[in-house]
Amino acid sequence: MIRIVTLDPIDPSDMAFLTATLYRAFGLGTEHAGERPMPREAERKDGRVDAVKVLAEVAPVRTFADDKVLYITASPLALPDGPLGEPPCWGFSQYGGERAVISTSRLPARGVSEASIENFRRRLAREAIHAVGHLWDLHHCYDPKCAMHPSWSPGLPANPEMDLDTFCREKSERRIRLAKT
Amino acid sequence: MRGPPPRHPDDHREQLPAVEGVIEDAATLAPGDRVVYPNQGVCAVVGVEEKDIAGQKLELVRMRREEDGAAVLVPKNKVPSIGLRRVATGGQIEGVFHYLAAQFDDPELDWKVRHRDNADRLIAGGVLGVAEVVKGLHSLSRIRPLPTKEREQYDNARHLLVHEVAVSLGVAPALAEDYIDYALMPPAGVKFDLKPPPTPVLLPSRPKRRRPAAGEGEEGMEDLGLADLGLGDLDLGAALEGVEAPAEEGEAEGAEGEAKAEGAEAAPEAAAEGEGEGDEEEEAPRKKAAAKAKPAKAPKSAAKAEKPAAKKAAPAKKAAPAKRAEKPAPAAKKPAAKPAAKRGGKKK
Repeated sequence: MIRIVTLDPIDPSDMAFLTATLYRAFGLGTEHAGERPMPREAERKDGRVDAVKVLAEVAPVRTFADDKVLYITASPLALPDGPLGEPPCWGFSQYGGERAVISTSRLPARGVSEASIENFRRRLAREAIHAVGHLWDLHHCYDPKCAMHPSWSPGLPANPEMDLDTFCREKSERRIRLAKT
Repeated sequence: MRGPPPRHPDDHREQLPAVEGVIEDAATLAPGDRVVYPNQGVCAVVGVEEKDIAGQKLELVRMRREEDGAAVLVPKNKVPSIGLRRVATGGQIEGVFHYLAAQFDDPELDWKVRHRDNADRLIAGGVLGVAEVVKGLHSLSRIRPLPTKEREQYDNARHLLVHEVAVSLGVAPALAEDYIDYALMPPAGVKFDLKPPPTPVLLPSRPKRRRPAAGEGEEGMEDLGLADLGLGDLDLGAALEGVEAPAEEGEAEGAEGEAKAEGAEAAPEAAAEGEGEGDEEEEAPRKKAAAKAKPAKAPKSAAKAEKPAAKKAAPAKKAAPAKRAEKPAPAAKKPAAKPAAKRGGKKK
């Protein structure tokens, strides 16, 4: 089961689109599990939120074995600096774990036109699939058409696909089959 | 560093400089140490235990794979040879990132060589070897999609690299992967201030195709593995004679009587002596060789074949020497052409 928890309000129609897309991508039941406040400990001085701390400090939701929880926030996320600097952050997951967080701050503006709303929803769904994919042990993929391709890659098209490629889909299916429940 | 096992038992392992951090002595391992088992990932040493296996008392190093808690047991004396190494240091990891972010020259396009080298790098190349596999296959994937096997190899290498970097930097694996891909696929407009990448991992050279030496050429030709098939006694040379001179069969059969009576042991020696010998000396082995080719038929057909043999004798005599002159056949084949012509000559 995939449980979506919002840290900031989100449009119900966007949520409906997201749950349907996640269900299609992983074949797992998906539901909106409510709202939680953003933990204060995760806020940084530059106005961004530490993605690693969010997952560590956020209030939990009721889960069962192999449930995955996806948090969605509108605040910009930040990651600790790496050897070559700080990578841009669309989201962060506990690899093979239970929790992931994504941000809508880097997505294209939702706007009011049908096209812009559709575009926003597709990008949101892609980031959600990417984050949940990490929870099911998927690594980044070199194929720009796959949802597991890094979101900052220059090879990513303007309107990227929101599907997994064959290798990643089969791997996630295998993991899900082997899961305890 | 000990390279991968030799492909051929005769090939000696090439001694290469050891990869940094390889554990040469199991006595240096202490419970709680974190080590990297090639192709398995980061393990924590639990301790050394003694086990009785097949009547032998073995000292085993017990490790626990950190990723899933799987138990790994390695005989203490095998530790130096399996490529067990310490988790990469900060300096090594820095080198890996500078290597990943560097421009990559053209990838190896021969899939056999590439696959073999990548497998070697994963086993014996240390953390930089794993990074080389990831970078090499990633570069190749930009040219064309990877085949299934290499896609799996790429995913495995990435998995190993992510976990080792995560352990070395003390961060979550997903964060380590973001760092790796930030170096591997930097966003548009981002340029890194890179140091020169570390020296690529040296791989042991592969044994070249074994060519038979001048002296063993004949032997090599004849060694078709017949002994393995239970056909070791088959005289291939004699069998080939029968195939090579079908027109002269009559003559050969006609002369079987005396040939059969002589011993067969001189034949190989005569073949080795070469062409410099007189006709008298060559005649006997040739007859013996012919006799070998048709051992069962010879007595019956000897009388029958006399007439046709006499008829065919004249053309055979002309054809055979010409054949010999233009084609210096190997020693084993020589007897096939000559005896027929000579025998034909005798009858004439």
